[in-house]
Amino acid sequence: MNTRPLPHQIQDASGDVVRDRPWIFRTYAGHSSARASNQLFRSNLEQGQTGLSIAFDLPTQCGYDSDDPIARPEVGKVGVPINSLDDFHVLFEGIPLEKMNTSMTINGTAMWLLALYVALARERGVSIDQLAGTTQNDLVKEYLARGTYIFPPQESLRIIAEMYEYCLDEIPKWNASNICSYHLQEAGATPVQELAFALANAVSLLDLLQARGRFDHEQFERAVGRISFFVNAGIRFVEEMCKMRAFSELWNEITRDRYGVQNERFRRFRYGVQVNSLGLTEGQPENNAWRILIETLGITLSRNARCRALQLPAWNEALSLPRPWDQQWSLRLQQILAYETDLLEYPDLFDGSPVVQSKVAELKQIARAEIERILELGGVIPAIESGYMKSALVKSMSERMSAINDGAQIVVGVNRWTEGLPSPLLAGDDGGVFKADPAAASETLENLARTRKARDPERVKRSLEQLKEAARKGTPMFEASVECALARVTTGEWANALREVFGEYRPPTGIDGQRLSLGGDRVEQLRARIASLTDTLGHRPRILVGKPGLDGHSNGAEVIAVSARHVGFDVIYSGIRLTADAIVRAAVEEDVDLIGASVLSGSHVELAHQIMTGLESSGAKGRIRVVFGGIIPKQDAEKLIQLGVDRIFTPSDYELMDIMESIVDVIEAAHA
Amino acid sequence: MSSAAQDISALVARARSLDKAAIAQLVTIFEDRRPAARELRAQVQTELEREPKQSPSVLIGITGSPGSGKSSLVARLAPTLLELDPELSLAVLAVDPSSTLSGGALLGDRTRMQESREQPRLYFRSQASDLELGGLGPHSFQVCRLLASLFDAVILETVGVGQSEADVQHLADRVYLVLSPLAGDEIQLLKAGIIEIPHAFIMNKCDEPTADRAHLQLRSSLWLARPFDAEKVPIYRTSARTGDGVPELAQALLETIRTTSGTTLTERTPYFFERWVREEWGRHGVEFLERECKGARQYLACHGGIDLAQLEFAADFIAFIGRGARRPQ
Repeated sequence: MNTRPLPHQIQDASGDVVRDRPWIFRTYAGHSSARASNQLFRSNLEQGQTGLSIAFDLPTQCGYDSDDPIARPEVGKVGVPINSLDDFHVLFEGIPLEKMNTSMTINGTAMWLLALYVALARERGVSIDQLAGTTQNDLVKEYLARGTYIFPPQESLRIIAEMYEYCLDEIPKWNASNICSYHLQEAGATPVQELAFALANAVSLLDLLQARGRFDHEQFERAVGRISFFVNAGIRFVEEMCKMRAFSELWNEITRDRYGVQNERFRRFRYGVQVNSLGLTEGQPENNAWRILIETLGITLSRNARCRALQLPAWNEALSLPRPWDQQWSLRLQQILAYETDLLEYPDLFDGSPVVQSKVAELKQIARAEIERILELGGVIPAIESGYMKSALVKSMSERMSAINDGAQIVVGVNRWTEGLPSPLLAGDDGGVFKADPAAASETLENLARTRKARDPERVKRSLEQLKEAARKGTPMFEASVECALARVTTGEWANALREVFGEYRPPTGIDGQRLSLGGDRVEQLRARIASLTDTLGHRPRILVGKPGLDGHSNGAEVIAVSARHVGFDVIYSGIRLTADAIVRAAVEEDVDLIGASVLSGSHVELAHQIMTGLESSGAKGRIRVVFGGIIPKQDAEKLIQLGVDRIFTPSDYELMDIMESIVDVIEAAHA
Repeated sequence: MSSAAQDISALVARARSLDKAAIAQLVTIFEDRRPAARELRAQVQTELEREPKQSPSVLIGITGSPGSGKSSLVARLAPTLLELDPELSLAVLAVDPSSTLSGGALLGDRTRMQESREQPRLYFRSQASDLELGGLGPHSFQVCRLLASLFDAVILETVGVGQSEADVQHLADRVYLVLSPLAGDEIQLLKAGIIEIPHAFIMNKCDEPTADRAHLQLRSSLWLARPFDAEKVPIYRTSARTGDGVPELAQALLETIRTTSGTTLTERTPYFFERWVREEWGRHGVEFLERECKGARQYLACHGGIDLAQLEFAADFIAFIGRGARRPQ
């Protein structure tokens, strides 16, 4: 029946009226140990999930073995720990690699994890051209927001480029990297900043691939076709939908005009989504279910800008890591939307809408100007190194916090309609939050010890030398990494070998020159209290703000640092990725009155314990007070108080001046 | 001995063995703005003078505009100095500007200094300039004199905004100005008064393409501003990013530390005492100091150091004003 379809129908190649196939359903998952995560993956696949999205723990992401001192508190907390190929065998047991679409949220160590995946395929006898999936491998947003970078920008970009060069013909269904703007929105980016920063990032990457000259034009076009994106979708869902349309149009224009890509297929904007977690609230957490639903509409309603793959956060993410049930509930939302509703029966609903057209045009125009500005600076790397992009993000975040604080931005249950009935979702035995298995780390450590013992030390040494030589000479490092994987080199050893050659990177913090726009009586009152506290102490109260552990989400800590200066504290910002020991040392050397530690990775109890013990052994316990901020469940908060922490701030403490007042209280009380 | 005096004595003893916690607490005493702290400082000073350091410490001022990369450079330089000289003990005092609005400050230099392990011969301390326009804070002199009595060398890192270079030269034995080639125009604009001060220049970010041009520009500015020693003023080229040129600079600094006899406290103090008098008591205070007390040097000598001199000065000056008021017309 080869008739023309009606405008509300979709027709396939043979002329039949059809329904679209749904996007790929994913759940970001992985925790505790390779064994526990394998069980979780298998049960998720049985539940109707159609792809894997692997969460790795922070030591794996930052290139440390599980038994490294800085890694110990973090093992298995936010994802699965992977020390060697032996762990990968356990993780994928009973899962056919050749049938999987596997997405790995991995960046600084992306080349290593892909090498492990390739090595696993080889040992299983699976041909690697059958492997499909994505390594996230976007270092730009790591420097700006997420913090799991290891090497300096130039070297990181070289690693990414080498992975494109390897994958293009060897693993053609693999996305070597994924341009992420997701984390930029989590760090406060506006829709325009998300558009501009992500596209400027992609342009800088393609410019690099072109400059390296390893591809002819035909290969280069295919490489452009391998570029995929990972974006965020917030609660202003109409604007978000327009943002996605703007993304598609801009990408099509850039790849055509800047790179002369002829094949339309390679100019298509391919993207996956995780909807926004930043806006999820700790108070009245059941409301988050609606937020997640609405945010999902933004990236599914418009067929021309619909995502390829979707993973949803869980309603309780501001409280703790999600439990399997919480993730199942979110997966069901996707299934209902895709299979129960009629959404997938229609062509694009918004084509021709003057409202949408105008909004998209506006977003595109501002984004283009911003992209130009970044390219004028020399591309994303100079824009990072000069602190330009980071400062822009910290500024947006400070403005957002100011708007929520003074009520200009309404957040239901947070600054309006805050009185509600108790949530039955929190009433279960576990209080509605995830409980990590403390024994899981020991299993991982035992496996690591076993691997080290069983391997051939000569082969390990040889393969690491080859890797370093490739790194030094500028020759490809991927094959050398696969040989390391087969030799049972560990994650920490691989990363350390490259640290030796490339060095480690510390980016600008973005706090320089930042200020809050908050004013008013409360700020004045606090400044007066701090002035009188200065007279009491003989010095302006000094606090150290820092992030112990490996979690690199530094924006919260940075907003606190900027706020503290705003009310008159002297603030020593010690940055991210510090051992508890280093934080204590800095606090003692600077003789601060208080340490403010921010932890989002769930390892707050271990870290608080280490900090308090450190203060005790340097004779500073009591003199230096301690407060903690982060995603800290109630039960853990009590443990922290028992350890001697004075105050705990959680996402429900969004009011910056309340936090500042509380810190002044603590210091005052200590000197009363 | 009273228990407070015992505490001070014990604290100083620990500080001498470079116990960081003890040093940190002493620094806090030397930053303390309460009048009563002067007495404590005098006690610390007495304790320190019981066993003075063999040779006076050398104080190195490193100054430069925001963005010149001086914090990153110092972060590279300090460990390199310690590595090249296994005997050297070093303190870094990093001064950052305070907000004129709130009085608070963000002190971020420490992020660049992160050492994964403890470095027993290095002490790092941040300080807010405290409402002064960048440059030196009112407590910088105090803390420097303490650190100088404990360490072989002290690096004082400050934001350069004109006036502060002038201050630094009174405190530091050697002043280094860090410049960035990206600020080429700024080099041309270096005010005559400023370009005359530094003992050496550090052209940082030397991996930038504009570095050669900036280097030439600086040389020719020196020819104009300092025709008599332009040839002799060293210009070091470094990159805090790659570490290029840092070992060479460190080697030269070590040579300076070895060959410079650090200025003794007695020589440094009068300038800062007079500055304190001006801040606290204004022009009339300075006139009183000059005319009635024969100047800062003499007054300090009579009163046994700055702490006691500060304690006494208030009483002397108020008494003087009182006499003046009672004087018959």
